Amino acid sequence: MTQILFKDINKKDLHTLAVYEETGGYKSLKKAFAKEPDEIIEMVKASGLRGRGGAGFPCGLKWSFLAKDVFPRYLCCNADESEPGTCKDRELLLKNPHLLIEGMILCSYACRIETGYIYLRGEFYDLCEIMEKALEEAYAKGYLGKNILGSGFDLDIHTHLGAGAYICGEESALLNSLEGMRGEPRMKPPFPAVQGLYAKPTVINNVETLCVVPYIVNEGAEKYAAIGTEKSKGTKLVSVSGHVKKPANYEVVLGTPVREIIYDMAGGMRDDNQLKAFIPGGSSVPMLRADQVDTPYDYESLQAAGSMLGSGALIVLDHTVNVVETSLRLVSFYMHESCGKCTPCREGTRWMWQILHQIQTGKGEAAHVEELLDICDNMSFKCFCPLGDAAVAPVASSIQNFRADYEELLQRMTANTV
Amino acid sequence: MADNEVTLTIDDQTITVPKGTKVVDAAKTVGIEIPVFCYHEKLGSLGCCRMCLVEVEKMPKLMTACTMDVGPDMVVKTTTERVEKAQKGVLEFTLLNHPLDCPVCDKGGECPLQNNTFKYGPGDTRMDFQRANNLKAAPLSPVITLDRERCIACQRCTRYSEVIEQDRALVMLNRGFHNEVGTFNNEPYDTRFSGNVIDICPVGALTNTQFRFKARTWDLTNSDTLCAHCGCNCNMTLGVRTNKFMRIESRPNDYVDDGWICDKARWGYDFLESKNRIMEARTTLDGASKTLPVKDAAAQAANALKKIADEHGPGSIGFIGSPYGTNEELYLYQKLFRQQLGTNNIDHKVYAETPGLPIPHYDVSEIETSDLVLVIASDPTEELPILDLRIKKVVTRGNAKLAVLNDQSTLMDRYAHLSLRYDIGAAAQVFAALANTLAGEKGEVQDTGITGEQLNSLMDMLKSSKKTTIIYNPAALTGQSVDVLKHLLSEIGKISSMECGAIPAAPYTNAVGALDMGVLPNYYPGGVPLADAEAVKQQSGENSPLEAGLSAMEMIEKANSGELKALLVHRANPVVDFPGSKKIADALKKLDLLIVHDMLETETSQLAGIVLPSNGPGHDDGTTTNIGGRVQFRKGGLKTTNAPDWKIISMMAKTLGDETDYITSFSVTDEIAKMVPGYGDISKKSIKKMGLARTAAQYQNGTKPDSAKSQPAKSDGLKLRIASYLFAHDKILDADSRLAHQFKPSTVHLHEDDAKKLGLKNGDDVIVVSGDTQVRAEVEISGKCNPGGVVLPRISDEQGVLGLAGADGISSVEIRKA
Repeated sequence: MTQILFKDINKKDLHTLAVYEETGGYKSLKKAFAKEPDEIIEMVKASGLRGRGGAGFPCGLKWSFLAKDVFPRYLCCNADESEPGTCKDRELLLKNPHLLIEGMILCSYACRIETGYIYLRGEFYDLCEIMEKALEEAYAKGYLGKNILGSGFDLDIHTHLGAGAYICGEESALLNSLEGMRGEPRMKPPFPAVQGLYAKPTVINNVETLCVVPYIVNEGAEKYAAIGTEKSKGTKLVSVSGHVKKPANYEVVLGTPVREIIYDMAGGMRDDNQLKAFIPGGSSVPMLRADQVDTPYDYESLQAAGSMLGSGALIVLDHTVNVVETSLRLVSFYMHESCGKCTPCREGTRWMWQILHQIQTGKGEAAHVEELLDICDNMSFKCFCPLGDAAVAPVASSIQNFRADYEELLQRMTANTV
Repeated sequence: MADNEVTLTIDDQTITVPKGTKVVDAAKTVGIEIPVFCYHEKLGSLGCCRMCLVEVEKMPKLMTACTMDVGPDMVVKTTTERVEKAQKGVLEFTLLNHPLDCPVCDKGGECPLQNNTFKYGPGDTRMDFQRANNLKAAPLSPVITLDRERCIACQRCTRYSEVIEQDRALVMLNRGFHNEVGTFNNEPYDTRFSGNVIDICPVGALTNTQFRFKARTWDLTNSDTLCAHCGCNCNMTLGVRTNKFMRIESRPNDYVDDGWICDKARWGYDFLESKNRIMEARTTLDGASKTLPVKDAAAQAANALKKIADEHGPGSIGFIGSPYGTNEELYLYQKLFRQQLGTNNIDHKVYAETPGLPIPHYDVSEIETSDLVLVIASDPTEELPILDLRIKKVVTRGNAKLAVLNDQSTLMDRYAHLSLRYDIGAAAQVFAALANTLAGEKGEVQDTGITGEQLNSLMDMLKSSKKTTIIYNPAALTGQSVDVLKHLLSEIGKISSMECGAIPAAPYTNAVGALDMGVLPNYYPGGVPLADAEAVKQQSGENSPLEAGLSAMEMIEKANSGELKALLVHRANPVVDFPGSKKIADALKKLDLLIVHDMLETETSQLAGIVLPSNGPGHDDGTTTNIGGRVQFRKGGLKTTNAPDWKIISMMAKTLGDETDYITSFSVTDEIAKMVPGYGDISKKSIKKMGLARTAAQYQNGTKPDSAKSQPAKSDGLKLRIASYLFAHDKILDADSRLAHQFKPSTVHLHEDDAKKLGLKNGDDVIVVSGDTQVRAEVEISGKCNPGGVVLPRISDEQGVLGLAGADGISSVEIRKA
């Protein structure tokens, strides 16, 4: 089993600099400083590393998009992990903060950045303290600050706690929030690589993405690229939750069949119940049916199956579930988290919630199902940012795959009325 | 096709537009309408309402036409099935919780939501849940009421506050379905420009408290008119129903106002129906005060003036007009006094401005293409608010730099790249020093409050500029400093690497027009100087008086000494508005005859023997010339049985033998076009849409001022600077005004050092004393002026600050604890 991020994850006191260094921590810095910054970007490109936050955009390519010769530039680490079902970054921040710092130093060196921010969701207050302590240690040891390890390269990293809004995980809303403004997504273009934080070129990467970089620099791009499938390289942390025996974060080689993750790693279904559905990439992606359980867990295969890898949160549902309730729960989340900027998301999430709630409480009408599908169509790809599409995913996919669940509830209503 | 142009196809029409144009605007150029709510061309793109979705070839998703720049060979389709479905969908979402109280909504009939729904919307709704309920009448300020249910969260208003006003007073609160427009801590949204949010609101959410539930919009008679409150002359629409004033809205004219009006324009028109209006002519010449027909009063006034002129000579009568009159009124009055009464005792002001500039007179819109704006002695925010927005626009969203040279700090300093503050009274010396430095001579800035280094950095800014607009307020320049300033302008004009022009920004409606119309003791219309007898005769006839006349303040002096016997005052209130207030009243009382032709009762009209009613803005037609030299038509709107001012003046002239018949105000305009140099192209037709810039008068005073005279006079006491506030509690905005919340308390701004010397602290109640005038004020210790000076804003008529000023506007004051 290839373990990159979780290799030593349960080692005692890994969060301290001393123990982290024992495991080979910060060794990549010297190797990196011996190279030209652009070489690091080329390495990351060659490794095939893709963004682990949800969109899966090639990481090296993102770095190379920074507006030429415009300084200062900024690095923002997106640690606003708020996607329902996802808790992988949390474990990395909690147990291995120095890995992130090392990754951020490498990224900053590669992109000629001198200021980095770690944007943590407001609820990560405790992790922020851990992070602060780790930063302090790194500064004391000369890994951060002026002239790092005599390389002439300077870097400061600051932490910033959000105020509790899911939308701030969207990169441009994150930038707004970091600048002290209302957490609303920005218009693109300009893209953050051209005009991001304080209108300067900015790299925004997920915690997990940055944590992979030290491995690539230490072991070489080829070694990383050898792991996984042709287009989905490396490993992915998967947060398995729901009706499994051992819900936890697992480091999975991309391309592993979902069946193996559920039945081998997570110990199988609770009470050995029947698998009904699974959401492979966090609440924002369409749910899949039990018969798709052999789909390889990688970007392309999941997309071909009609869903996405997303943030890598595998939510497993057994046969006791009526997916109407699942949709209602998820839409209720999106209604609560919609920033309200664009009309379809602001109004549509609430309307869907109203209808689903009516169906769930046995007051639905037969026409409601088609109406929901039409609302989904009116929302999807018409909202300002992906949050609206995310809200559509559970509803549209649950109707598509499990229409019988809706009909059952609607019939129950008819029976009650008669 | 030029490099900076792009050709694309929209609905099979090929269009070439400038690079950077948004698809929505490109479509507009060929008459294709793409519906919007959140987009507004002055605010830029936001893309939140999603109403403007269009199909673009090679793009998988529908795109928002308001956020998308045109691209070469782009193919846009706005009427496909997909687009129509999306439009219906977005409108269904928008209307989901909108209350549909159109039958009682102020916006009904002119509502983008109604219109878009009618054209693009679904005919029905599938929403069968109870609509959201929210506050129907939340007061945002005393003048704006917010209907929260109607709000569709398009953010136009909040972005206006952020992008245009730039103080983020109005913001979105809460999130998602619960988001709403509001302010921090629920404080009132009471900025100077707040009313514009009513105009740009695409639904009936932000409503004009004054107009709320007053009338249906289609029942209004709308007049395209101008604001008459300051020198900007912003374009606006006056809505009238059954001859009752209803409301005012902005009417965009990029040459003048950039689409906005200030709150004084919107809510400063209650005087149209004020109880204080002069509605009838009256006379006390035959003993007790009695009313008489306007026609008879005009004849009586003319004959009485003529009689005095005949008895005591034409130098014994005079005319004080007003920079608030229209060009027609001003022109006719100077013509009456010169041609029928034979005097040059004609004036309209108490500051030393003269016609003409040594550099071009810039239109306000020239600011947009300048890379340097130099503001001298002007406080646009308080004096000419719309100018403030334009300057902020080019400085924060354009590439222009802002330099400020003033004796008081203003809100402009916040946006300035260089802000120099000279001592009160040192203006002339500073201008002379800068002019000398530019001319390569030594610039003396000793005892002016600014350093040679600062002066040099200002000079560097000027020299590195490609185009500079200089905005100065002649009314704030005391003594002869205006002359020195004009010398400075001519020196600036010599910088060969730069084009430049000036905007003489006196804060009065028609200050430029009054100069142009020759309402001056030493200039005929068009800036023709008395000294040039030939030119005068050629222009105004052989019998034109050539003897130098008296200035307004000289007329007051001569009234006091008994040499001036009769005075006609048109739309002015010298008793309150001239320096020396009380002394003015005493002098006026000594006149044999005081005729006042005014709109509202004033301290001056109370002293008059003959009072003529003036209709003024809102009633009378006429033209005015704004600070940028643009002549525009100010249409009346309300009907009145009283004769318009120009007709009353014409009646007086006819009484004295003038034979000209004027049919409408435009008959006078036509005569102006013929008689006034620079106004030749002005006609009803030529100024109809956007107005027309007149040609500025020739600049006459080319001499270099004596630098010794530029030295500030040494004096005891603190030098007084009276700051002018447009939102003041004056005759126009009386105590019942809707804008009472904008009135400020009487405050005297002191420097820390002076306050320490006087033992004063913030909030102390003091009396500001000069001679026998006393003004009560509260102390504010601020950096508003340099040590040795005080700034006293004029906040009301009752405050009486002009009483403190000397005849040339300069004075020293003492401050005592109350």
